Amino acid sequence: MNADPHLTPKKKRMTLQASLPLIGVGVGILLIIGPFLAGLIRSLLLWVGNDPQVSLANYSWLLTDTRIRTAALNSLICGLGAMSVSLVLGTSLAWIVSRTNVPGRETLRTLNLIPFFFSPYVGAIGWIFLIAPYSGLMQTSLGSLLGVSFEGPNIYSLAGVIWILSLFYTPYVYLFVISPLQRMDAAFEDAARVHGASFWTTIRLVTLPLLQPGLLSAALIVFVTSAGLFDVPLALTATKGIRTMPTEVFALVRYPSDLGRAAAFGIFITAITIVLTLWQRAHLSKRRYEIISGKGYKPRVIELRTTGTLIALAIEVLYLLTSVVLPVLALVLVALSPLWTGRFNPATATLANFSYVLFDYSLTRQAILNSLFLAVTGATLGVMLSGLQSYYLIRVRSGFKSFIDAILALPLGIPGIVLSLFFLIFAIRTPLYGTLAILLIAYIARFFPFATRTISAMLSAIHPELEESARANGATWAQTMRFVLLPLLRPALIAAWIMLFIIFIRELGASILLYASGTETISIAMLLLSENSVGYVAALALIQLVLLLTGFSLFRLTKVSAIQ
Amino acid sequence: MKIAHFASIGVAALVLGGAICPAVAQDIPAAKGMNDIERASLMQTIAAAKAEGALNYSDTIIQPTTNDVLVSAFRSYYGLANTFTVNYTLLTSGAMITRVEQELSANRITFDVAAIGSPTWTFERQKTGAFLNYRSGQYDFYQDAIKAGLGVDGYFVLNGGYAQIPIWNTEIFDFKGKSYKDALAAVPAGRFSIGDVVQSESHLTTYAGLRQALGVDYFKDMARKKPTFVGRSELSAQRILTGQDMMAFGGNPSRVHQSNQKGAKLKIFYPEEGFTFLPQMTFIFAKAPHPNAAKLWIDFILSETGQKILADKEALISARAGFQSPIPDIAPNFSSLKIIKVDWEKMSAQELIKYRDEWVSIFNP
Repeated sequence: MNADPHLTPKKKRMTLQASLPLIGVGVGILLIIGPFLAGLIRSLLLWVGNDPQVSLANYSWLLTDTRIRTAALNSLICGLGAMSVSLVLGTSLAWIVSRTNVPGRETLRTLNLIPFFFSPYVGAIGWIFLIAPYSGLMQTSLGSLLGVSFEGPNIYSLAGVIWILSLFYTPYVYLFVISPLQRMDAAFEDAARVHGASFWTTIRLVTLPLLQPGLLSAALIVFVTSAGLFDVPLALTATKGIRTMPTEVFALVRYPSDLGRAAAFGIFITAITIVLTLWQRAHLSKRRYEIISGKGYKPRVIELRTTGTLIALAIEVLYLLTSVVLPVLALVLVALSPLWTGRFNPATATLANFSYVLFDYSLTRQAILNSLFLAVTGATLGVMLSGLQSYYLIRVRSGFKSFIDAILALPLGIPGIVLSLFFLIFAIRTPLYGTLAILLIAYIARFFPFATRTISAMLSAIHPELEESARANGATWAQTMRFVLLPLLRPALIAAWIMLFIIFIRELGASILLYASGTETISIAMLLLSENSVGYVAALALIQLVLLLTGFSLFRLTKVSAIQ
Repeated sequence: MKIAHFASIGVAALVLGGAICPAVAQDIPAAKGMNDIERASLMQTIAAAKAEGALNYSDTIIQPTTNDVLVSAFRSYYGLANTFTVNYTLLTSGAMITRVEQELSANRITFDVAAIGSPTWTFERQKTGAFLNYRSGQYDFYQDAIKAGLGVDGYFVLNGGYAQIPIWNTEIFDFKGKSYKDALAAVPAGRFSIGDVVQSESHLTTYAGLRQALGVDYFKDMARKKPTFVGRSELSAQRILTGQDMMAFGGNPSRVHQSNQKGAKLKIFYPEEGFTFLPQMTFIFAKAPHPNAAKLWIDFILSETGQKILADKEALISARAGFQSPIPDIAPNFSSLKIIKVDWEKMSAQELIKYRDEWVSIFNP
């Protein structure tokens, strides 16, 4: 592109500067629009004999089928339930560690993030072992003490799904509100208190409204992600015949499959996501939310009394116990048992399950290698793509930026299984079908917006003057990028890379319809091993957790994680 | 080009070597009792399989630990080195059919061989040309099964069969009944599982058979007792082991056998009303990536050696002529079974879908 002799050096530089970010944006849009169009076209086709005809029959079926209505209602319940619990819990945790003097709050600030990196599917499995009716560790332990057998809470229910989703999506809310809480000018709350407002009235009328942008963003992402999650309902409610939208998409793809109806359903879910995203953008753009005034201020730290401290610590301990300690403990006990009967017998404890999945079963070995390959390659390509997109969104002047930003953010809300379905339709008759490449592309398409947001946040904090001064001193655009911007962006790039690595290691929804023999991932292997032995599943889940915790530890070492 | 050239020379050399070295062939168990022509043919197939280097097979029953035993025996049977790879995938019947249908649509078959307890689908797919025509010499021992509608000569036959029948944990539940009706009467409401017909082709097949013997009212009574729906046999056994359920009506004898070997005390019974026999139909795909390795596998799995391993490790019921079960309590001899007669070849996929819709209307999962 620089070989054109008619271009002046300045135009050459502008071409390179403009084209690279545009390529990033173009690839991102193609990754979204391509499969989406494939799904849309497939949803409008109906086969009569061997001939496809354009028809709206798949959509009219959507409106009339009671099973779909039930599934949609259940997903709505799951989404709203998880959103509500996560909002309360996430805001409370963020408030405790950022606005109170609770002891150990710096440590708690980090610990609260651990569930963000865990797989909700693994959490669901852990909770099944903990409280499965009549046979969970809780029931058997208490039963032994009291000499009775009892059913306990029903984890195989929508309430069970909401519970698990809430535990693992609370950190999303926490991340969205902790920064505004830390940066909020205490003068707003002081003014309310001076005028006679009680503590709770101040929270309700001042603090929460000022947190509204963060809360609304968190609520939307938790609602859409919870309603669209495939694996937790599969683990918990499938045995009770409780269907949700993602499990219904999965059922439609299974033999005798109806890809037309599945595609129509996927388009319907995507349309809901688009409407919700647009509504959120419109709502937030109407109001101003200034939480930092021009005056110097000091964030208020509330001195808790003994009772308040105990309550705050109890909330923290309870959250960490239920989201991390107890499910992991249950997985460890099951993984160490040769035959799981609901009771742990230390006398028979063995490492055989670990040995089997790590050394003896070729599928799990291959799955671990595949997941590592997908995570490392996918995270690298994803960060490169997101870096270019961020540059376009923050640095390039364009009248379409807002529109492009909205398009590039779409995968955040599209359920993994729906995107996986679109990619299946897109690739089934191409050489990509059944390869690791299609999984890699689907992963990047589904999750690059996470990286784009991380990098954009840091890029917007770096003043363009630094690049401008390098350019003024004769550096080319490429040199400016290499020696000025990229070193400054490095923490964000590393954080984005680790985040994608972690997400790809635990990914299931986007893999379930695209894997083939030899391209199984860790999460797929867990699903396949569940036909074999729960001990193997628990062992592999723990191996996955070790990989995720390693990622989490590395994430904490990056400077940008503190900013986030 | 050069690589292909050298590879073909290598294959030719191996074939020639096999043909002129009957002494080598005599050393392998597979060649036992063969005449010179059969032996030469076998050695050609072995040489071609070695050149292919691998076999991909999938099954809905065989556990990975059993696969390890099978693969070891398979290599010994043909004198294959450990470098010959056998890739095995355990799938549920629904997942396997979905995968295979997708691969057939994509014209990219990744499996060489599969075995599945879904006879209607197998008959239909054989008619569409999805399977390789290979008349294994072992088919001679399965002629009675083929006459009984459990295979098509030269295309597929069962490598074993099983039933989805009631199982329970004797340490938790005291049951002494003999029929499906006894079992339903004894089990407490909400404390039993049944096979999920929507998720699993084999459970659908079982329902299609049982529905004819037990009548629709039996299942309506069952629905009133609020069962749990389980698509995977391991999960139904696990729920019995831990005491979540008192009985699994769609239990798998293989899982009972394997759990009991680890110290559990699970029990099954073959109900007096009869039961649906699920033949694990095994076949080679027409576009298998390793057709010669696949032929060796079919010969092996249908042989006395392969059948013994499947019966002993997986409690599969062998239909091989003259075969005696090593565990008759769990996997009785084929000739002693009271099987509900169903003509799987005549039953269409549409009929199965009607059964599935009926099941859904009764249980409303």
